[in-house]
Amino acid sequence: MDALIEDTAERIFSDRIDKAMLERAETTLPGTIGEFPAALWETVRDAGLHLVGSPDTGTDYGDLFGLLKVAGRHAVPLPLAEILLANAVTGDGEAGAITTIAAADNVAPWARAADRVLTIDGELAREFAVEPGANLAGEARDRVVVQNPVRIAAPDRLHERLALSRAALTAGALERILAYAVAYATERRQFGRPIAKFQAVQNSLAVLAGEVAAAVCACDGAVAAVESALPGPRQTDEIAVAKARCGEAAGIAAEIAHQVHGAMGFTHEHGLHHFTRRVWAWRDEYGRERQWQAELGQRIAANGADNLWDFIARGHGTA
Amino acid sequence: MFPGLRFELGELPAAAEALRSEVRRFVATEMPAGYWPNADFNEGHSPEFSRKLGSQGWIGMTWPQRYGGGERTFFERYVVTEELLAAGAPVSAHWIADRQSGPLLLRFGSEQQRRRYLPGIARGESYFSIGMSEPDTGSDLASVRTRAEKVAGGWLVNGTKIWTTDAHRNHYLIALVRTQPPTDSRHAGLSQLVIDLHGEGVAVRPIRNIAGFDDFNEVVFEDCFVAEADLVGEPGNGWVQVTSELGYERSGPERFLSAFRVFVEFVRAAGAYPQRADAALIGRLASHLMTLRKMSISVAGMLQAGTDPAVESALVKSLGNDFEKLLPELVRLQSPPGGHWPAQLPPDHPLERCLRQTLLHSPSFTLRGGTREILRGVVARGLGLR
Repeated sequence: MDALIEDTAERIFSDRIDKAMLERAETTLPGTIGEFPAALWETVRDAGLHLVGSPDTGTDYGDLFGLLKVAGRHAVPLPLAEILLANAVTGDGEAGAITTIAAADNVAPWARAADRVLTIDGELAREFAVEPGANLAGEARDRVVVQNPVRIAAPDRLHERLALSRAALTAGALERILAYAVAYATERRQFGRPIAKFQAVQNSLAVLAGEVAAAVCACDGAVAAVESALPGPRQTDEIAVAKARCGEAAGIAAEIAHQVHGAMGFTHEHGLHHFTRRVWAWRDEYGRERQWQAELGQRIAANGADNLWDFIARGHGTA
Repeated sequence: MFPGLRFELGELPAAAEALRSEVRRFVATEMPAGYWPNADFNEGHSPEFSRKLGSQGWIGMTWPQRYGGGERTFFERYVVTEELLAAGAPVSAHWIADRQSGPLLLRFGSEQQRRRYLPGIARGESYFSIGMSEPDTGSDLASVRTRAEKVAGGWLVNGTKIWTTDAHRNHYLIALVRTQPPTDSRHAGLSQLVIDLHGEGVAVRPIRNIAGFDDFNEVVFEDCFVAEADLVGEPGNGWVQVTSELGYERSGPERFLSAFRVFVEFVRAAGAYPQRADAALIGRLASHLMTLRKMSISVAGMLQAGTDPAVESALVKSLGNDFEKLLPELVRLQSPPGGHWPAQLPPDHPLERCLRQTLLHSPSFTLRGGTREILRGVVARGLGLR
């Protein structure tokens, strides 16, 4: 991705997002409802980050998903994936409206704060009824009923790009989870030395690092396939690999990171859960691992056992 | 991110991709008659097949032409090696020589050694074994006790190497030996020697493994004379040399493809329209394999760029070895695909046969080339934990 975009995003997110903001934006504690961080959104919009990946901006899908990876590292409490993909589809993001996307189950992230809802099959609505909800990370996942929608051109491969957005967010969040775990293991002392000095802990952290590296590579591979406009079936396959592999990594990584953090990481006060709960939630959004694995597996089986290696090495439909 | 966790992804260059169909055609015609394909690089010792590969220019591919090499890229070598493994071709005869002994001699050996050994390796005629482990030295490699004592014109070697794959049918072994007593630094005083496995003072005794095969050995040296000309690099530089050799040893596709034929047979048995659970397993295994492959190609890119990917190689090998072990277990629990009776396939069914063979060899996957524990230690060091 473009280094300038990455640096800008890194700077804005590190400066503007703190634990208090994440807590306010989440629907986690009883009796609370997540509050949209309007000031953060304005900063993001003023910096033009909401147009990354939109047509005629000199940016592409590589930048868009790269930005989402950075967003994952900071648990950005905005419907950034939906805004970026909706703006890329409608091409009218200049007005600065918040457009979220309703999936097939009519759930749209942060619809309560949105100006418009784009449905997965290409309807755009300014009027919609909202019933607030949340995923297991407390991120706003509102149920919507759209009224008087206008049909726009059917969005190209929107479902799989939403799935890839979750892989990219997950890859970024996993990098942060690893950083948390390594830092904690280095600081926390037991038996007179940092727990990082114990082989049992080193072993766990090495497994965590392997999963994080695999998730990042799986995600980067799929982003590259979209960015370089590989044939449609290959994009689908690479995205299936990314969503499935990132989802598997998320479970293993969150488990190890919490184990390394001990009871401290189980408290609401500690920052780790903002990331671990998100990766748990994201692996369920836009198709669980098994869904993507089964669809990928069906295409591989249809290709035949004697072409298995060719599928692995060169992908679908290139023989 | 942490050093050692940065994997720049890249597509294989067109020149490398172009080799793919060539290798496939070659394997289709040259696979020895009746050979049961096995993706494990250690299985299948065929001097005839190795010589044919050599005449294709597919051994020593990255080496200079003056030593019989092909001056090709690491990406081209990558494609050839992964195609051979995926097809289950018999590659063990030349594998070690091509992967690490040759590159070691190229980097640290004398001009005379390069001229003497490399062309034969590249022709697929000269085979090498690894001389690292000893009865009392496994993961703690610096504790080797095989001694080489300075004598007129060379060295007198006494000691024992063990787990030496194919020592009974290979030509040479590169031994890590102690040429000076240990000092404050355990890594000082080690050297590497090329030893003729058919020479005087060398006894090779087979060791049977749990699969019933005896392709690894114990190699005993008793007053074995090694000429001065066969010392590799500088005396005392053995530790540095042996660690660089491990970089080559750990980075390739053989670290995640050992169980690949089980996957092929499962896909075959599942048929073109598999049940959902079977399809999900196929997709899951593919998602791991395709990801590992991206990481391994990234490491080939680091080798091509001349950097030292020690941590990355250890990470990919560790992840890949775990996958090689997980694959047969998951397939076994899901077999036979389709959920039909009989609940178990007959033992001569290709899938059952592959499963048995792979399971019996699987303990070695996370031992050879560095144990899982050692590799995770290397990764932990990359994370700054030690």
